Amino acid sequence: MKLTKFLKWFALCLGVAVFASSAFADENLFGYVKGSETLPKGAWELYEVTTLRSGKGRGDYTAWNLEAEAEYGVTHRLSATGGLNFQSIDTKGLVIDGYLPGDKEYGPKLSGMEAALKYNFLAPAKDNIGLSGTLGLDYAWLDPHSGRKKDTASLETGLQLQKYFMEGQLIWVWNAATEGTYAVRGEIDDLPTDFEWTTNPEVELEFKLGTGLSYRFAPNWFIGAETLYETEFETEVGQERWSLFAGPSLHYGGSKWWATLTWFPQVAGGGEEYADQSISNLHLIEKTKQEVRLKVGFNF
Amino acid sequence: MNKRSWVRIALLSPAAIVAPVYAADYLSIPQAQELLFPDAGTFKEHTVLLTASQKKQIKSISGMSQRWDQQRVWRVEKAGGFLGWFIVDEVIGKHEFITYAAALSADGKVIGVEILSYRETHGGEVRDAEWRGHFKGKSLSDPFKLEVDIPNISGATLSCRNITDGVKRLLALHQIILAHESGD
Repeated sequence: MKLTKFLKWFALCLGVAVFASSAFADENLFGYVKGSETLPKGAWELYEVTTLRSGKGRGDYTAWNLEAEAEYGVTHRLSATGGLNFQSIDTKGLVIDGYLPGDKEYGPKLSGMEAALKYNFLAPAKDNIGLSGTLGLDYAWLDPHSGRKKDTASLETGLQLQKYFMEGQLIWVWNAATEGTYAVRGEIDDLPTDFEWTTNPEVELEFKLGTGLSYRFAPNWFIGAETLYETEFETEVGQERWSLFAGPSLHYGGSKWWATLTWFPQVAGGGEEYADQSISNLHLIEKTKQEVRLKVGFNF
Repeated sequence: MNKRSWVRIALLSPAAIVAPVYAADYLSIPQAQELLFPDAGTFKEHTVLLTASQKKQIKSISGMSQRWDQQRVWRVEKAGGFLGWFIVDEVIGKHEFITYAAALSADGKVIGVEILSYRETHGGEVRDAEWRGHFKGKSLSDPFKLEVDIPNISGATLSCRNITDGVKRLLALHQIILAHESGD
Protein backbone atom coordinates (compact mmCIF):
# COMPACT_ATOMS: atom_id res chain seq x y z
CA MET A 1 0.00 0.00 0.00
CA LYS A 2 1.32 3.41 -0.91
CA LEU A 3 2.01 5.82 1.90
CA THR A 4 -0.39 8.40 0.48
CA LYS A 5 -3.23 5.88 0.40
CA PHE A 6 -2.50 4.78 3.92
CA LEU A 7 -2.44 8.38 5.11
CA LYS A 8 -5.74 8.99 3.34
CA TRP A 9 -7.36 6.13 5.22
CA PHE A 10 -5.69 7.08 8.45
CA ALA A 11 -7.09 10.61 8.13
CA LEU A 12 -10.49 9.21 7.23
CA CYS A 13 -10.56 7.00 10.29
CA LEU A 14 -9.56 9.86 12.51
CA GLY A 15 -12.06 12.16 10.88
CA VAL A 16 -14.85 9.69 11.31
CA ALA A 17 -13.91 9.10 14.90
CA VAL A 18 -13.81 12.79 15.61
CA PHE A 19 -16.96 13.89 13.81
CA ALA A 20 -19.26 10.89 14.09
CA SER A 21 -21.70 11.42 16.89
CA SER A 22 -22.46 7.92 18.45
CA ALA A 23 -23.65 3.74 19.97
CA PHE A 24 -23.69 1.46 23.07
CA ALA A 25 -20.48 2.76 24.52
CA ASP A 26 -18.55 3.40 27.65
CA GLU A 27 -15.27 1.78 28.52
CA ASN A 28 -15.62 -1.70 27.03
CA LEU A 29 -14.08 -4.49 29.08
CA PHE A 30 -15.29 -6.96 26.46
CA GLY A 31 -15.31 -7.18 22.71
CA TYR A 32 -18.92 -8.25 22.24
CA VAL A 33 -20.92 -8.06 25.45
CA LYS A 34 -21.62 -4.68 26.99
CA GLY A 35 -21.58 -3.19 30.46
CA SER A 36 -24.38 -1.12 31.97
CA GLU A 37 -22.57 2.14 32.64
CA THR A 38 -23.03 5.39 30.75
CA LEU A 39 -20.84 8.45 30.40
CA PRO A 40 -21.26 11.35 32.79
CA LYS A 41 -23.02 14.44 31.42
CA GLY A 42 -20.92 16.36 28.93
CA ALA A 43 -18.23 13.66 28.54
CA TRP A 44 -17.14 12.32 25.15
CA GLU A 45 -15.64 9.01 24.14
CA LEU A 46 -14.46 8.09 20.67
CA TYR A 47 -14.15 4.48 19.55
CA GLU A 48 -12.52 2.52 16.83
CA VAL A 49 -13.70 -1.08 16.55
CA THR A 50 -11.89 -3.35 14.09
CA THR A 51 -13.17 -6.89 13.53
CA LEU A 52 -11.62 -9.65 11.46
CA ARG A 53 -14.03 -12.41 10.41
CA SER A 54 -12.43 -15.41 8.76
CA GLY A 55 -13.02 -19.01 7.69
CA LYS A 56 -16.12 -20.69 6.32
CA GLY A 57 -14.75 -24.21 6.00
CA ARG A 58 -14.19 -24.05 2.24
CA GLY A 59 -12.39 -21.65 -0.05
CA ASP A 60 -10.98 -18.44 1.37
CA TYR A 61 -13.09 -15.95 3.27
CA THR A 62 -11.73 -12.91 5.07
CA ALA A 63 -13.72 -9.83 5.96
CA TRP A 64 -12.71 -6.72 7.93
CA ASN A 65 -15.15 -4.39 9.58
CA LEU A 66 -14.21 -0.99 10.96
CA GLU A 67 -16.63 0.98 13.10
CA ALA A 68 -15.80 4.54 14.07
CA GLU A 69 -18.11 5.75 16.81
CA ALA A 70 -18.50 8.62 19.21
CA GLU A 71 -20.49 8.64 22.43
CA TYR A 72 -21.71 11.67 24.35
CA GLY A 73 -23.12 11.88 27.84
CA VAL A 74 -26.42 13.74 27.35
CA THR A 75 -27.23 13.43 31.04
CA HIS A 76 -25.57 11.42 33.80
CA ARG A 77 -27.86 8.53 32.84
CA LEU A 78 -28.37 8.92 29.09
CA SER A 79 -25.66 8.47 26.45
CA ALA A 80 -26.06 8.98 22.72
CA THR A 81 -23.85 7.24 20.19
CA GLY A 82 -23.41 7.52 16.46
CA GLY A 83 -20.97 6.06 14.01
CA LEU A 84 -19.95 5.10 10.53
CA ASN A 85 -19.15 1.56 9.40
CA PHE A 86 -16.65 0.39 6.81
CA GLN A 87 -15.91 -3.06 5.46
CA SER A 88 -13.56 -4.90 3.18
CA ILE A 89 -14.00 -8.41 1.87
CA ASP A 90 -11.84 -11.02 0.20
CA THR A 91 -13.53 -14.30 -0.73
CA LYS A 92 -12.37 -16.85 -3.28
CA GLY A 93 -13.32 -20.41 -4.21
CA LEU A 94 -16.57 -20.43 -2.25
CA VAL A 95 -20.11 -20.29 -3.63
CA ILE A 96 -23.08 -20.67 -1.30
CA ASP A 97 -26.42 -20.78 -3.06
CA GLY A 98 -28.61 -17.92 -1.96
CA TYR A 99 -25.84 -16.17 -0.01
CA LEU A 100 -22.40 -15.99 -1.67
CA PRO A 101 -22.58 -15.66 -5.46
CA GLY A 102 -18.83 -16.00 -5.95
CA ASP A 103 -15.45 -14.34 -5.59
CA LYS A 104 -15.38 -10.80 -4.33
CA GLU A 105 -12.55 -8.55 -3.24
CA TYR A 106 -12.45 -4.90 -2.32
CA GLY A 107 -10.75 -2.65 0.18
CA PRO A 108 -12.49 -0.56 2.82
CA LYS A 109 -15.80 0.89 1.69
CA LEU A 110 -18.27 2.91 3.66
CA SER A 111 -20.95 0.31 4.34
CA GLY A 112 -23.39 1.81 6.81
CA MET A 113 -24.12 4.03 9.77
CA GLU A 114 -25.60 3.62 13.20
CA ALA A 115 -27.06 5.58 16.08
CA ALA A 116 -28.03 4.46 19.57
CA LEU A 117 -29.23 5.60 22.95
CA LYS A 118 -28.30 4.01 26.26
CA TYR A 119 -30.14 4.75 29.49
CA ASN A 120 -28.81 3.69 32.87
CA PHE A 121 -31.52 2.68 35.35
CA LEU A 122 -29.25 1.34 38.12
CA ALA A 123 -25.55 1.98 38.76
CA PRO A 124 -23.53 -1.13 39.64
CA ALA A 125 -21.37 0.58 42.25
CA LYS A 126 -24.28 2.34 43.93
CA ASP A 127 -27.27 0.03 43.57
CA ASN A 128 -25.42 -3.30 43.94
CA ILE A 129 -26.39 -4.27 40.41
CA GLY A 130 -26.30 -2.13 37.29
CA LEU A 131 -29.05 -2.09 34.69
CA SER A 132 -29.26 -0.21 31.44
CA GLY A 133 -31.38 -0.33 28.31
CA THR A 134 -30.28 0.40 24.76
CA LEU A 135 -32.09 1.35 21.59
CA GLY A 136 -30.10 1.26 18.36
CA LEU A 137 -30.81 2.01 14.73
CA ASP A 138 -28.51 0.69 12.03
CA TYR A 139 -28.64 1.34 8.29
CA ALA A 140 -26.31 -0.44 5.84
CA TRP A 141 -26.04 -0.66 2.06
CA LEU A 142 -23.47 -3.44 1.78
CA ASP A 143 -24.09 -7.04 2.82
CA PRO A 144 -21.50 -7.98 5.46
CA HIS A 145 -21.50 -11.61 4.27
CA SER A 146 -21.32 -11.49 0.48
CA GLY A 147 -20.05 -7.93 0.23
CA ARG A 148 -22.75 -7.23 -2.38
CA LYS A 149 -25.32 -4.44 -2.42
CA LYS A 150 -28.03 -4.88 0.16
CA ASP A 151 -30.07 -2.17 1.86
CA THR A 152 -30.63 -3.12 5.48
CA ALA A 153 -32.40 -1.27 8.28
CA SER A 154 -32.23 -2.73 11.77
CA LEU A 155 -33.71 -1.72 15.09
CA GLU A 156 -32.20 -3.27 18.20
CA THR A 157 -33.37 -3.09 21.79
CA GLY A 158 -31.24 -4.50 24.58
CA LEU A 159 -30.78 -4.83 28.32
CA GLN A 160 -27.45 -4.91 30.12
CA LEU A 161 -26.83 -6.10 33.66
CA GLN A 162 -23.54 -5.49 35.45
CA LYS A 163 -22.37 -6.61 38.87
CA TYR A 164 -19.19 -5.69 40.75
CA PHE A 165 -17.48 -8.19 43.00
CA MET A 166 -14.35 -7.71 45.15
CA GLU A 167 -14.80 -3.90 45.20
CA GLY A 168 -14.87 -3.84 41.42
CA GLN A 169 -11.88 -6.08 40.78
CA LEU A 170 -14.17 -8.75 39.33
CA ILE A 171 -16.94 -7.66 36.97
CA TRP A 172 -19.80 -9.70 35.56
CA VAL A 173 -22.09 -8.56 32.76
CA TRP A 174 -25.13 -10.09 31.13
CA ASN A 175 -26.87 -8.94 27.94
CA ALA A 176 -30.10 -9.69 26.14
CA ALA A 177 -31.12 -8.07 22.88
CA THR A 178 -33.66 -8.32 20.09
CA GLU A 179 -33.05 -7.01 16.60
CA GLY A 180 -35.57 -6.64 13.82
CA THR A 181 -34.20 -6.25 10.30
CA TYR A 182 -35.74 -5.24 6.98
CA ALA A 183 -33.48 -5.91 4.00
CA VAL A 184 -33.57 -5.72 0.21
CA ARG A 185 -30.76 -7.11 -1.94
CA GLY A 186 -29.50 -5.41 -5.05
CA GLU A 187 -29.64 -7.06 -8.48
CA ILE A 188 -26.54 -8.97 -9.71
CA ASP A 189 -25.97 -9.33 -13.44
CA ASP A 190 -23.48 -12.20 -13.60
CA LEU A 191 -25.00 -14.75 -11.23
CA PRO A 192 -23.94 -18.41 -11.59
CA THR A 193 -26.43 -20.65 -13.41
CA ASP A 194 -29.43 -21.68 -11.25
CA PHE A 195 -28.15 -19.48 -8.42
CA GLU A 196 -30.92 -18.26 -6.16
CA TRP A 197 -30.57 -14.56 -5.32
CA THR A 198 -33.87 -13.16 -4.20
CA THR A 199 -34.33 -9.43 -4.35
CA ASN A 200 -37.65 -9.49 -2.56
CA PRO A 201 -37.73 -7.70 0.79
CA GLU A 202 -36.75 -9.89 3.75
CA VAL A 203 -37.74 -9.48 7.37
CA GLU A 204 -35.69 -11.16 10.07
CA LEU A 205 -35.83 -11.26 13.84
CA GLU A 206 -32.70 -11.94 15.85
CA PHE A 207 -32.30 -12.71 19.54
CA LYS A 208 -29.01 -12.38 21.41
CA LEU A 209 -27.91 -13.53 24.83
CA GLY A 210 -24.44 -12.87 26.14
CA THR A 211 -22.42 -12.88 29.32
CA GLY A 212 -18.87 -12.11 30.38
CA LEU A 213 -16.59 -12.08 33.39
CA SER A 214 -13.56 -9.80 33.68
CA TYR A 215 -10.88 -9.73 36.38
CA ARG A 216 -8.41 -6.94 37.04
CA PHE A 217 -5.15 -8.84 37.50
CA ALA A 218 -2.93 -5.75 37.71
CA PRO A 219 -3.56 -2.00 37.79
CA ASN A 220 -5.06 -1.03 34.40
CA TRP A 221 -5.15 -4.61 33.10
CA PHE A 222 -8.15 -6.93 32.91
CA ILE A 223 -8.44 -10.49 31.63
CA GLY A 224 -11.85 -11.86 30.82
CA ALA A 225 -13.96 -14.39 29.02
CA GLU A 226 -17.20 -13.80 27.18
CA THR A 227 -19.77 -15.70 25.21
CA LEU A 228 -22.60 -14.70 22.86
CA TYR A 229 -25.53 -16.77 21.63
CA GLU A 230 -27.35 -15.46 18.57
CA THR A 231 -30.31 -16.94 16.75
CA GLU A 232 -32.23 -15.59 13.78
CA PHE A 233 -35.76 -16.26 12.59
CA GLU A 234 -37.10 -15.54 9.14
CA THR A 235 -40.71 -15.55 7.90
CA GLU A 236 -40.32 -18.43 5.43
CA VAL A 237 -37.95 -20.81 7.21
CA GLY A 238 -38.55 -20.19 10.91
CA GLN A 239 -35.27 -20.54 12.81
CA GLU A 240 -32.72 -19.85 10.12
CA ARG A 241 -29.56 -20.11 12.16
CA TRP A 242 -28.00 -20.07 15.59
CA SER A 243 -24.44 -19.72 16.78
CA LEU A 244 -22.48 -19.68 20.00
CA PHE A 245 -19.20 -17.81 20.13
CA ALA A 246 -16.92 -17.77 23.18
CA GLY A 247 -13.42 -16.57 23.86
CA PRO A 248 -10.97 -14.57 25.96
CA SER A 249 -10.59 -10.80 26.18
CA LEU A 250 -7.65 -8.70 27.28
CA HIS A 251 -8.38 -5.12 28.30
CA TYR A 252 -6.18 -2.16 29.14
CA GLY A 253 -7.78 0.90 30.69
CA GLY A 254 -6.05 4.18 31.47
CA SER A 255 -7.27 7.64 32.32
CA LYS A 256 -7.20 8.85 28.70
CA TRP A 257 -7.67 5.75 26.57
CA TRP A 258 -8.48 2.06 26.67
CA ALA A 259 -8.18 -0.97 24.40
CA THR A 260 -9.74 -4.42 24.30
CA LEU A 261 -8.61 -7.40 22.23
CA THR A 262 -10.94 -10.40 21.89
CA TRP A 263 -10.49 -13.73 20.16
CA PHE A 264 -13.95 -15.10 19.50
CA PRO A 265 -14.16 -18.54 17.85
CA GLN A 266 -17.51 -20.12 17.05
CA VAL A 267 -17.82 -23.10 19.38
CA ALA A 268 -21.21 -24.37 18.19
CA GLY A 269 -23.80 -23.50 15.62
CA GLY A 270 -26.66 -24.83 13.60
CA GLY A 271 -29.56 -24.12 11.30
CA GLU A 272 -29.00 -23.75 7.58
CA GLU A 273 -25.87 -25.31 6.07
CA TYR A 274 -24.49 -24.79 2.61
CA ALA A 275 -24.53 -27.71 0.15
CA ASP A 276 -21.02 -29.10 0.58
CA GLN A 277 -20.31 -27.82 4.09
CA SER A 278 -17.69 -30.06 5.66
CA ILE A 279 -18.13 -28.91 9.26
CA SER A 280 -21.55 -29.85 10.60
CA ASN A 281 -21.57 -28.34 14.10
CA LEU A 282 -21.07 -24.68 13.09
CA HIS A 283 -23.17 -22.15 11.26
CA LEU A 284 -20.95 -20.97 8.41
CA ILE A 285 -23.31 -19.21 6.03
CA GLU A 286 -23.72 -15.89 7.81
CA LYS A 287 -21.03 -16.52 10.42
CA THR A 288 -17.38 -17.49 10.22
CA LYS A 289 -15.28 -19.94 12.17
CA GLN A 290 -13.74 -17.16 14.19
CA GLU A 291 -13.59 -13.45 14.79
CA VAL A 292 -10.89 -11.25 16.27
CA ARG A 293 -11.85 -7.80 17.51
CA LEU A 294 -9.76 -4.84 18.63
CA LYS A 295 -11.52 -1.92 20.27
CA VAL A 296 -9.80 1.32 21.16
CA GLY A 297 -11.52 4.16 23.00
CA PHE A 298 -10.42 7.70 23.86
CA ASN A 299 -11.86 9.78 26.67
CA PHE A 300 -12.46 13.52 26.51
CA MET B 1 -6.47 -2.16 0.52
CA ASN B 2 -5.15 -5.49 1.74
CA LYS B 3 -5.20 -7.22 5.13
CA ARG B 4 -1.87 -5.77 6.16
CA SER B 5 -3.16 -2.27 5.54
CA TRP B 6 -6.18 -2.90 7.74
CA VAL B 7 -3.94 -4.11 10.53
CA ARG B 8 -1.86 -0.95 10.16
CA ILE B 9 -4.94 1.22 10.43
CA ALA B 10 -6.23 -0.70 13.41
CA LEU B 11 -2.96 -0.58 15.28
CA LEU B 12 -1.36 2.69 14.27
CA SER B 13 -4.21 5.15 14.35
CA PRO B 14 -4.91 4.65 18.06
CA ALA B 15 -1.23 4.87 18.85
CA ALA B 16 -1.00 8.13 16.96
CA ILE B 17 -3.64 9.94 18.96
CA VAL B 18 -3.25 8.33 22.34
CA ALA B 19 -2.48 10.78 25.06
CA PRO B 20 0.19 9.56 27.46
CA VAL B 21 -1.07 8.08 30.69
CA TYR B 22 0.16 10.02 33.67
CA ALA B 23 0.13 9.42 37.35
CA ALA B 24 -1.70 12.18 39.19
CA ASP B 25 0.00 12.41 42.56
CA TYR B 26 -1.49 15.43 44.24
CA LEU B 27 -0.13 15.30 47.75
CA SER B 28 2.82 13.75 49.51
CA ILE B 29 2.32 12.16 52.92
CA PRO B 30 3.91 15.13 54.78
CA GLN B 31 1.68 17.55 52.84
CA ALA B 32 -1.43 15.54 53.73
CA GLN B 33 -0.31 15.41 57.37
CA GLU B 34 0.08 19.19 57.41
CA LEU B 35 -3.41 19.67 55.94
CA LEU B 36 -5.18 17.23 58.25
CA PHE B 37 -3.28 18.02 61.46
CA PRO B 38 -2.00 21.59 61.05
CA ASP B 39 -1.30 21.94 64.78
CA ALA B 40 0.52 18.64 65.20
CA GLY B 41 3.92 18.46 66.79
CA THR B 42 4.97 14.93 65.92
CA PHE B 43 3.86 12.10 63.68
CA LYS B 44 5.06 8.76 65.03
CA GLU B 45 4.81 6.13 62.33
CA HIS B 46 4.30 2.48 63.00
CA THR B 47 2.93 -0.41 61.00
CA VAL B 48 -0.07 -2.28 62.30
CA LEU B 49 0.23 -6.00 61.62
CA LEU B 50 -3.18 -7.58 61.28
CA THR B 51 -4.04 -11.15 62.16
CA ALA B 52 -6.61 -13.14 60.22
CA SER B 53 -8.99 -12.81 63.15
CA GLN B 54 -8.62 -9.02 63.21
CA LYS B 55 -9.18 -8.80 59.46
CA LYS B 56 -12.32 -10.86 59.89
CA GLN B 57 -13.56 -8.50 62.61
CA ILE B 58 -12.89 -5.48 60.41
CA LYS B 59 -14.94 -7.03 57.63
CA SER B 60 -17.70 -7.89 60.07
CA ILE B 61 -17.89 -4.31 61.35
CA SER B 62 -17.40 -2.39 58.11
CA GLY B 63 -18.65 -4.85 55.50
CA MET B 64 -15.37 -4.35 53.65
CA SER B 65 -12.50 -6.78 53.23
CA GLN B 66 -9.20 -5.68 54.71
CA ARG B 67 -6.95 -6.47 51.74
CA TRP B 68 -3.62 -5.80 53.41
CA ASP B 69 -1.98 -7.59 56.33
CA GLN B 70 -0.21 -4.36 57.21
CA GLN B 71 -1.49 -0.82 57.59
CA ARG B 72 0.71 2.27 57.91
CA VAL B 73 -0.52 4.56 60.68
CA TRP B 74 0.92 7.65 62.37
CA ARG B 75 0.19 8.56 65.97
CA VAL B 76 -0.25 12.33 66.04
CA GLU B 77 0.76 14.31 69.11
CA LYS B 78 1.25 17.89 70.17
CA ALA B 79 3.38 18.70 73.21
CA GLY B 80 2.87 15.17 74.51
CA GLY B 81 -0.90 15.36 74.07
CA PHE B 82 -2.64 12.86 71.79
CA LEU B 83 -4.46 14.41 68.80
CA GLY B 84 -5.46 11.37 66.76
CA TRP B 85 -4.39 9.04 64.02
CA PHE B 86 -3.19 9.68 60.49
CA ILE B 87 -3.64 6.68 58.17
CA VAL B 88 -2.63 6.20 54.55
CA ASP B 89 -4.76 3.70 52.65
CA GLU B 90 -5.49 2.47 49.12
CA VAL B 91 -8.76 1.44 47.52
CA ILE B 92 -9.58 0.18 44.06
CA GLY B 93 -10.47 2.74 41.44
CA LYS B 94 -11.81 1.84 38.04
CA HIS B 95 -8.29 1.41 36.65
CA GLU B 96 -5.77 1.94 39.42
CA PHE B 97 -5.53 2.17 43.17
CA ILE B 98 -6.63 5.44 44.73
CA THR B 99 -4.30 6.54 47.53
CA TYR B 100 -5.85 8.64 50.26
CA ALA B 101 -5.22 9.65 53.86
CA ALA B 102 -7.70 9.81 56.69
CA ALA B 103 -7.39 11.61 60.00
CA LEU B 104 -9.24 9.99 62.89
CA SER B 105 -9.83 11.41 66.34
CA ALA B 106 -9.10 9.52 69.52
CA ASP B 107 -12.81 8.77 69.96
CA GLY B 108 -13.15 7.22 66.51
CA LYS B 109 -14.51 10.05 64.37
CA VAL B 110 -13.29 11.27 61.01
CA ILE B 111 -11.40 14.56 61.21
CA GLY B 112 -10.74 14.75 57.49
CA VAL B 113 -9.83 12.98 54.26
CA GLU B 114 -7.26 13.96 51.64
CA ILE B 115 -6.68 12.37 48.21
CA LEU B 116 -3.00 11.72 47.55
CA SER B 117 -3.23 10.01 44.12
CA TYR B 118 -6.15 9.78 41.73
CA ARG B 119 -5.61 8.53 38.18
CA GLU B 120 -9.11 7.83 36.84
CA THR B 121 -10.79 9.22 33.72
CA HIS B 122 -13.70 10.86 35.49
CA GLY B 123 -14.43 11.93 39.04
CA GLY B 124 -11.60 14.31 39.86
CA GLU B 125 -14.25 15.95 42.07
CA VAL B 126 -13.34 13.46 44.81
CA ARG B 127 -10.52 15.90 45.53
CA ASP B 128 -12.95 18.78 46.08
CA ALA B 129 -13.10 19.94 49.68
CA GLU B 130 -16.89 19.98 49.47
CA TRP B 131 -17.13 16.27 48.67
CA ARG B 132 -14.46 15.25 51.18
CA GLY B 133 -16.14 17.44 53.77
CA HIS B 134 -19.05 15.01 53.97
CA PHE B 135 -16.80 12.61 55.89
CA LYS B 136 -16.05 15.04 58.72
CA GLY B 137 -17.42 13.92 62.06
CA LYS B 138 -18.56 10.54 60.81
CA SER B 139 -18.26 7.48 63.02
CA LEU B 140 -19.13 3.82 62.65
CA SER B 141 -22.71 4.60 63.60
CA ASP B 142 -23.20 6.48 60.31
CA PRO B 143 -24.56 4.73 57.18
CA PHE B 144 -21.59 5.44 54.82
CA LYS B 145 -23.94 4.98 51.85
CA LEU B 146 -23.72 6.82 48.55
CA GLU B 147 -26.58 9.27 48.07
CA VAL B 148 -27.63 8.69 51.67
CA ASP B 149 -24.95 10.49 53.65
CA ILE B 150 -22.20 10.75 50.99
CA PRO B 151 -22.96 12.29 47.56
CA ASN B 152 -22.22 10.29 44.44
CA ILE B 153 -20.10 11.71 41.61
CA SER B 154 -21.35 10.58 38.20
CA GLY B 155 -18.72 8.81 36.15
CA ALA B 156 -16.79 7.93 39.30
CA THR B 157 -19.34 5.93 41.26
CA LEU B 158 -16.97 3.05 41.90
CA SER B 159 -14.28 5.42 43.18
CA CYS B 160 -16.79 7.20 45.45
CA ARG B 161 -18.10 3.93 46.81
CA ASN B 162 -14.69 2.46 47.45
CA ILE B 163 -13.34 5.60 49.16
CA THR B 164 -16.51 5.72 51.30
CA ASP B 165 -16.20 2.05 52.18
CA GLY B 166 -12.47 2.49 52.76
CA VAL B 167 -12.97 5.26 55.35
CA LYS B 168 -15.52 3.10 57.14
CA ARG B 169 -13.03 0.23 57.12
CA LEU B 170 -10.40 2.50 58.72
CA LEU B 171 -12.89 3.37 61.45
CA ALA B 172 -13.33 -0.38 62.03
CA LEU B 173 -9.53 -0.70 62.20
CA HIS B 174 -9.57 2.06 64.78
CA GLN B 175 -12.20 0.29 66.86
CA ILE B 176 -10.44 -3.09 66.72
CA ILE B 177 -6.86 -1.95 67.26
CA LEU B 178 -6.06 1.77 67.42
CA ALA B 179 -8.62 2.64 70.10
CA HIS B 180 -6.72 0.36 72.45
CA GLU B 181 -3.45 2.18 71.75
CA SER B 182 -4.72 5.73 72.19
CA GLY B 183 -3.53 6.00 75.74
CA ASP B 184 -0.06 4.60 75.11
